[in-house]
Amino acid sequence: MTYTIDEWFVVALARTIRDREVVFHGFGSPCAQVAMHVARRTHAPDMLLIEGAMYAINPDPPFIPPTSNDNSLKQGAAYSMRFEEFFDAASRGDVDRMFLSGGQIDGYGNTNVTAVGPLDRPKVKLGGGGGGCNISATIGQLTLWTTRHRSGRTLVSSCDFITDIGHVTPAGDRKALGYSGGGPQWLVTELGIFDYDGSGIARLREMWPDVTEDDVRSSTGFEFEVASDLGTVEPPSPAELAAVRAIDPLGVRRSEFDPGELQRTFEVALH
Amino acid sequence: MFLDPDKRVDLSTAAGMVADGDVVALGGGLSARLPMALIREMIRQGRRNLHVVGSAHSLDVDMLVAAGAITVCEESYVGFEQDFGLAPAYRRAAESGTIQVKESCCVTILTQLRAAEMGVPFLPVRGIKGTDMRRLHPEYAEMTCPFTGEVLVVVPPLRPDVALLHAPLGDTRGNLYMEQPYVLDEHFASAARSVVATVDKIVATEELVERGITIPAHLVRGVAEVPFGAHPASSYPHYAYDRSATGAYIRAAGTQESLESYLDEWVRSTDEAGYRDRQGSAELERLTTWSESVDAWKGLFA
Repeated sequence: MTYTIDEWFVVALARTIRDREVVFHGFGSPCAQVAMHVARRTHAPDMLLIEGAMYAINPDPPFIPPTSNDNSLKQGAAYSMRFEEFFDAASRGDVDRMFLSGGQIDGYGNTNVTAVGPLDRPKVKLGGGGGGCNISATIGQLTLWTTRHRSGRTLVSSCDFITDIGHVTPAGDRKALGYSGGGPQWLVTELGIFDYDGSGIARLREMWPDVTEDDVRSSTGFEFEVASDLGTVEPPSPAELAAVRAIDPLGVRRSEFDPGELQRTFEVALH
Repeated sequence: MFLDPDKRVDLSTAAGMVADGDVVALGGGLSARLPMALIREMIRQGRRNLHVVGSAHSLDVDMLVAAGAITVCEESYVGFEQDFGLAPAYRRAAESGTIQVKESCCVTILTQLRAAEMGVPFLPVRGIKGTDMRRLHPEYAEMTCPFTGEVLVVVPPLRPDVALLHAPLGDTRGNLYMEQPYVLDEHFASAARSVVATVDKIVATEELVERGITIPAHLVRGVAEVPFGAHPASSYPHYAYDRSATGAYIRAAGTQESLESYLDEWVRSTDEAGYRDRQGSAELERLTTWSESVDAWKGLFA
């Protein structure tokens, strides 16, 4: 049996969730969205899953549609929060984890989803950050991810615009800014997985088996530390793979990847 | 407050309640409950210089930008998520400087609406410090909390001239029923100077009371009955999102020239009855089959 990088990637995102956490994803985030459901169906059955743009609590959607605001995503939820109910909870510190991505991500985990290039005449006007600008300051931990690391344009030395807060900004660190949230804990890319060291800089912890440290370095615009026990990402279990496939029959997670990346196929090891 | 016992108007009159230069709040979000019939009618009427505010939006804002109706965009997001990607007309206009982008954040907009609802001159908000958001919003300020000494960003009230909302059901007085998520619609309704609504269907007040009223009639200035008035956005429980009609817009939006042809064909050369005819009654009916089975529902997205 084989599996593909999109499936393994989603499983790696899911593993950043701990059981009994309150977890949220934004819109336009199918990988994070699928990952949250995988976590809830495997190792984190008692998490509180807040479904993106629906604000539904612990739904069991029959499939994940390619839009985040669809009634299929609140199927099976006994309760849906109001918009303000979720954002108030996030602002007062009652949400433990949020998934965040960006067109640009710097070494401190600041993200740009607003514009690449000069602000008055951007080279690329990105979509915008939803609620991230405010609540990235107050949510417990952030799992950052990107499926575009290899492009060389995503992990940058500095963001052209900071939409969402990482560990350290030009205006100071989280402590100086008075923010209660812990900031980025993980950065998962299609090349590897980073955590953050004591100074708030990304540190490479694991890579996928078909990736080298040179691949990571040549695609990364910032200097990063490498963990002394740099390892390989733990392969997905049969239960995790089954959960990915059951939750996402339409394969919306694949829409985040360059078609070339989706050719990356792996064999389930036989024990 | 709007106290007339009968607020029914036709779509043309409803869209005429928006003036050139108005600050216009758009209800719904992403692919759900967008006030698309009002958007199309404003394009037919040649509305100009709008300052549009909202949370996360897509075709509504992009089409108004394509038609040259918008001067200022103030949303937390404009785009088609990972499915169709960046918003084509919005992106071109932002990159060429023909619209002013005052991108904002969901919590900030919510807080500004709450200030307007409460009638207070500002409210504090968490976050923003350390980001570049104030480069887009020189009107924000900082203030030291008199109780804790914390320095917080404070934001002024946001009072739209008009909120354009779509609801699946309403009554002749203008009471509106919606399904969750309401997104910012309730706050838009209280904070704005007026609400102009479309509904797929006008029903008896008793039926609305049974379901629960989301927006009360006294906030609503006019209500127009327009079947499929949110199309191609969804309006549950009636119809799901029309992904293929949205895809047709995206394919046409590659250049401003082809987009002009699209607007001529689907919007400017016809009215809403003609729009529904051209979409095809079978295609529109298909969108109502979402509740028949999971496969039917899933099939709408394949």
